[in-house]
Amino acid sequence: MADSNKENPEKGQFYWKSLKEFHDDPASAEAKANEFMAGVTDDFKLSGMSDMSRRKFLALLTASASFAAASCSTYPSKGEVIPYNKEPRGVIPGIANYYASTCTGCNQACGILVKTREGRPIKINGNDEHPVNKGKICARGQASILNLYDPERIREPQKKSGSSFSKSSWASANGTIISALSAAVSSGKEIAVVMKTLLSPTAKKAFDEFAAKYPTVKLYSYEFFSNVNRNSAWKKSYGSEQFPLISWDKAKLILALEADFLGNEGNMIEQTRMFVETRNNGDIKNFSRLVVAESEVSITGMNADIRLSLHPEEQYNFVMSLLHEFVVKRQVSRFALDRNVVNTLQDFSLEKFAERNGIDQKSLKGLVSYMSKYKDSSIVYAGDRLPESVHIAVNFLNEVLGSTRLYRENQANIELLAYSTAQDWEGLVSKMMSGNVEVVIHYDSNPVYHLPEDYGYAAALGKVSTIVTLAQTENESSAASQWLLPINHDLESWNDFQTRTGLYSLQQPVIYPLYTTRQKEAIVITWASGNESAYHDTLYHEYLMNRWQKEVYPSMKLAVDFKTFWYSALHDGVVSFVEKPEGWDSYKVESFTSLPTPSTSKGYSVVLAESYVLGDGRFASNGWLQELPHPVTKVVWDNYAALSPDTAKELGVDYNDLVEVRIDNRKQKLPVFIQPGMARKVVAIELGYGRTNAGTVGTGIGVNANVFLSKKGSFSQWIYSDAAVSKVNGKYELVTTMEHYSIDNIFNKDIQFTRGIIREGTIDEYEKDPNFIQVEREADKPVSIYKKFEYNGIKWAMSIDLNKCTGCSACVISCNVENNIPVVGKDQVKVSREMQWLRIDRYYSGTPVEPKISLQPMLCQQCDNATCENVCPVAATTHSPDGLNMMVYNRCVGTRYCSNNCPYKVRRFNFFNFRYHFDGGYYAQQPVEMVNNPEVTVRTRGVMEKCTFCVQRIVEARQEALQDGRKFKGSDVVTACQEACPADAIIFGDMNDPNSDVSKMREHPLGYYALEELGTKPNVTYLAKLRNI
Amino acid sequence: MEVVDYSKAPPLIEGNPTLGHIDDSIAVPMEKRPSKKYFAALSITLTMLLIGAVALGYTFYYGIGMWGNNIPVGWAFDITNFVFWIGIGHAGTLISAILFLFRQRWRTGIARFAEAMTIFAVMCAGLFPLIHLGRPWYAAFVFPYPNQHGIWINFNSPLVWDVFAVSTYFTVSLMFWYIGLIPDLASMRDRTTNKFKKAVYSVLSLGWRFSNKHWQHYEKTYVILAGLATPLVLSVHSIVSFDFAVSILPGWHTTIFPPYFVAGAIFSGFAMVMTVLIIVRKVFDLEYIITKKHLDKMAKIILVTSMMVAYAYLMEPFIAWYSGNAVDWFVVVSRATGHYAVGFWMMVACNVFIPQLFWFKKIRSSIPALFIISLLVNVGMWLERYIIIVTSLYRDFLPSAWHIYTPTIFDFGILIGSFGLFFTLVLLFSRTLPVISMSEVKGVVEGAHPTHHIGAEHE
Repeated sequence: MADSNKENPEKGQFYWKSLKEFHDDPASAEAKANEFMAGVTDDFKLSGMSDMSRRKFLALLTASASFAAASCSTYPSKGEVIPYNKEPRGVIPGIANYYASTCTGCNQACGILVKTREGRPIKINGNDEHPVNKGKICARGQASILNLYDPERIREPQKKSGSSFSKSSWASANGTIISALSAAVSSGKEIAVVMKTLLSPTAKKAFDEFAAKYPTVKLYSYEFFSNVNRNSAWKKSYGSEQFPLISWDKAKLILALEADFLGNEGNMIEQTRMFVETRNNGDIKNFSRLVVAESEVSITGMNADIRLSLHPEEQYNFVMSLLHEFVVKRQVSRFALDRNVVNTLQDFSLEKFAERNGIDQKSLKGLVSYMSKYKDSSIVYAGDRLPESVHIAVNFLNEVLGSTRLYRENQANIELLAYSTAQDWEGLVSKMMSGNVEVVIHYDSNPVYHLPEDYGYAAALGKVSTIVTLAQTENESSAASQWLLPINHDLESWNDFQTRTGLYSLQQPVIYPLYTTRQKEAIVITWASGNESAYHDTLYHEYLMNRWQKEVYPSMKLAVDFKTFWYSALHDGVVSFVEKPEGWDSYKVESFTSLPTPSTSKGYSVVLAESYVLGDGRFASNGWLQELPHPVTKVVWDNYAALSPDTAKELGVDYNDLVEVRIDNRKQKLPVFIQPGMARKVVAIELGYGRTNAGTVGTGIGVNANVFLSKKGSFSQWIYSDAAVSKVNGKYELVTTMEHYSIDNIFNKDIQFTRGIIREGTIDEYEKDPNFIQVEREADKPVSIYKKFEYNGIKWAMSIDLNKCTGCSACVISCNVENNIPVVGKDQVKVSREMQWLRIDRYYSGTPVEPKISLQPMLCQQCDNATCENVCPVAATTHSPDGLNMMVYNRCVGTRYCSNNCPYKVRRFNFFNFRYHFDGGYYAQQPVEMVNNPEVTVRTRGVMEKCTFCVQRIVEARQEALQDGRKFKGSDVVTACQEACPADAIIFGDMNDPNSDVSKMREHPLGYYALEELGTKPNVTYLAKLRNI
Repeated sequence: MEVVDYSKAPPLIEGNPTLGHIDDSIAVPMEKRPSKKYFAALSITLTMLLIGAVALGYTFYYGIGMWGNNIPVGWAFDITNFVFWIGIGHAGTLISAILFLFRQRWRTGIARFAEAMTIFAVMCAGLFPLIHLGRPWYAAFVFPYPNQHGIWINFNSPLVWDVFAVSTYFTVSLMFWYIGLIPDLASMRDRTTNKFKKAVYSVLSLGWRFSNKHWQHYEKTYVILAGLATPLVLSVHSIVSFDFAVSILPGWHTTIFPPYFVAGAIFSGFAMVMTVLIIVRKVFDLEYIITKKHLDKMAKIILVTSMMVAYAYLMEPFIAWYSGNAVDWFVVVSRATGHYAVGFWMMVACNVFIPQLFWFKKIRSSIPALFIISLLVNVGMWLERYIIIVTSLYRDFLPSAWHIYTPTIFDFGILIGSFGLFFTLVLLFSRTLPVISMSEVKGVVEGAHPTHHIGAEHE
């Protein structure tokens, strides 16, 4: 080769290393042929080497390292590990996939869109296609994703042995249970299935099959808080089963009586959306007026234009007095001529009512004149917890006013299985006691915790030989069971739901079950087949598809084949079709004239409400929700006895004192929270707390006030009269995220207004002068000596419409989930170290008896002149060219100076590594980290953090725009809080784009900046609240 | 009645001791085996230091969360202690540099000790900016060192100014102290018979041979360093005050802060020097060098600075009222009436009312009274920083963010630890180096500067 090159120079250059090589010395040729010089490779014999030669050392090192690596690895035990070198279909690493599904956090079955990354769900949003919740989902629904990754989920079937559970298998569990079921049938004993609201038609079919196989099956259904009173009153008034849906968006006046339609009653997402449509500052003419008469302070009450604090048992008198005013005095409607009606009303009058309750006559007069002005647009809405009699009177009032036109005729609620009545439960318990119930199945329900104690349900369970609880985590009912069968989380389940006419909502799994859990419907079908081996992974999936193919699809009469229909239905998550609701009869006035007068209280009344954060207690083990400040009181991790300031004074108690509340012989000690605006002589308590078996996080949080529930009820099932309240020794510290400084102290009075934090007014003021909230003209502003930074291109800004914000806190949880906010625990919130980047500030003005409430979501204002930036010694917080105030976690050393200098105090500091600090590292366990958003850094201890305007979403959207080759626009980005807000109060976008919504809001006459006079130049605009008074 | 001869300045050293006697008595602590009392004292201060170390260990392991700090009160004991110790460190340089330049020769008796205290106090102070960091292992980020990331520090931040101010102050004070020590170290070298000590003193005394040339160089260097150190006395605490004054926070954002802080620092520094010297002069029998007249003069300075501080206390509410800024006024009122009102009034009592007793000569010449009042001034000045920091933060602009601050045992542990460190260093210093400048004191004994010009003796 060398020769040929030498001879043919044109072939290429010949390189030579020495003259010997050039002259083709044989030694040189030989050396070239061997890779190593002579002597290097010849003597490689391990045995012949010195004890520790270099080669031997390397050989031993390699061997030992590979042995060590092989022996330490647990890979084989993890089963098949498939790397992403072959991309699974539909999954691109780094790109999120979204699947439509349905939330079952309560009985509203809202449509959700689940965001998954690399196959794991990381966020739950509302499904845009869903006609009810239209892309929004409440705080609880969003936080429920944490329950999927709860380390204390039951991982395999459990059998009780002694007093504790031990591992078992599905085969043995189902074998035993099926034979117990068969035994029950053959001995003619009852099989009781206790469930909450049944929402799924397919599940209903499964239960029909189950009941066909085991004829002694009886289904019992309950809901901790429900609208049974409203529905039964409706049946009496109009003859149909379901109270109609209401066109809130067409109302000019909403009179909510003890009704929390913006908080906990009905579909608050839909109701909030429809309500805020009437609170549009661009449409003052159609501004509604919300009048709330209530005993506790609810989310709805916070948003009232006029709020009357009224004893709950006076609601009946209030409605009757209003009826007297309209029917008898003003002769409104044909019923004025009805003798019986007039007789029923003769003892009532508004004057007497006002006098008895110490209510200003003028405000009532105003209400009445407004109502008579907008008669058929005035909806009166009584709350779930009021008794049937009040609902009947309210139905009549709406009939009289003609506001029945606001009842929606195109759609109605559907009830698949009626709630069991008190008689049903008593019957069940007596059958259990007499040994006539062989099997009790707690079908994802917790009756031991929920049912009033005086049914004696828990004790009766002792007489039942087979008790099976289907649940995700242990609960009070599972503790009383022989079998605890773990069921799938929503996000691992298939299902369909129908809560309204003309609408199906589908649920599809977005992740394979994490553990050996099964879908609860599949368990029932397995039992119905009488054979454990009937179960397979896709059992319920196929069952559901079958039913849809055979029953649903044909009725739709579609041109497409079933598969296309099914996949498009799964894709959308909802199927809308034409279905006429049953409608209702004409008004039955007898229901009103035969109305029994409800008894009224002399002593204290106890109002029991559903917890805003824990629901009926099912979210007790969810740290995010436990730590979500109560929308009104801002208390976290606790419930309490809320008292009005007057009542507290009468009882001689202050915050955190203990009181004993006693109703008949049922009593409980609770800490006091003094709530301005509550009615006198009322104790309001939230239920859902005091769980005794809710895992590490939820057990023992708050006080179990379910003890007050009685099967007989009192004023109603949730309002108890003649309670005794007394101060007892001891204290219990409640923790809030806002100090309760007194609002009537001269120095604190209206501080939110005097400091320019909150600006608000009435619609009259706004009509007279649209600029009425603007205190400073542009010319008055001080001139800066610094050159203004030019923001060319996009500049990010946000606007928050305080008219629309109801304080529901969905945004807070959305932010928590999106930005990997840790749970810190009560002890840390107590020392003001909560980590939420977004908080909703609540301010009182007026008097403690009749406070006005102003709300303000507070997050990093992304100031142009950010005070935090120039004090950071290490430049860990700096400004981006698109106007973001950025936080560089890597660079932060944790001086906390930025937080000290932030006038909004929106920065959050990692005082500990909170994931390890909370509850002995509860949320540091597997698989909780799976819930983290991989696009957001999990912050370590010692660094500062704050709202980033969801910078990860901005970057992602920008990247997409670049890839698609289009211009990046502000509207491409939706922040997590904006995405969640059911009122669409939050708008985000590019303020340099004059056509963007946000730049219009910045120019809006109602727009202002918090603490504007400091000159921080915030990029969050607040639109002042307008009150319709 | 005592007849006072006004034609002659009173002697600075009492009893007209011989020069040898001065050397002997100052060197005694270094040459004798320490007594049991000394070890008892050392064991107490070391215990305090240990408490601080344990508290600090917990803080490093778990995080700043061990302290009471929260949001909004991001700073509390940490920066309070920092400002307090920096303040203590002020008297030393003031006494040694400024009084030196003003030819106040009475300073010679107390200068060395005050300077040492400065060094130790600044050491204590320097700890706090370090340990108050959320991630102290990245503390080096605050220095402008070149790095491959091209990241620079933020020179707009007062904390960066602090880093430079404090480190410069420490360096200059240390140099000044050391230069002043050289002649004494040489004396010690010559006196000692212990080989080890001899070696150490020899190295440290840099070959000092008491030659005329040496003295000339020494005097010049000393004057130059005094000149350098003098502006630092004013600058350090001014810059420390910028941490607050430059911010936007009502209660911090005040133009009076720099002079107010300097006056306060001198006030507390003199009080601390007085506290310690009263013990030292007694324990080491140096009452004839650190005379009652010294204490009297220091008391007068304390009185003057107390009134300067009082003026600042009055100015704060006045400006808050006069500016018409409601938030400022709110802070002023909430200081005096709010959750921390007890601390506020204790501060006013200790810093303003009690030092007024120094108007009376009887009080100024009563050692127990001086001792107690100087202690109270230190308590008051610690509280002053605490009040400034905590009461401004705990109720600032947004009522929604208000929150009370409560210290934890770890906060107190570290505070105790810092005192432990300070006094341990003081104790070790008193046994290893001359606590009083031998050479300078010898310069102020009667007849040290023979002159024909009567009255010029103490120039």
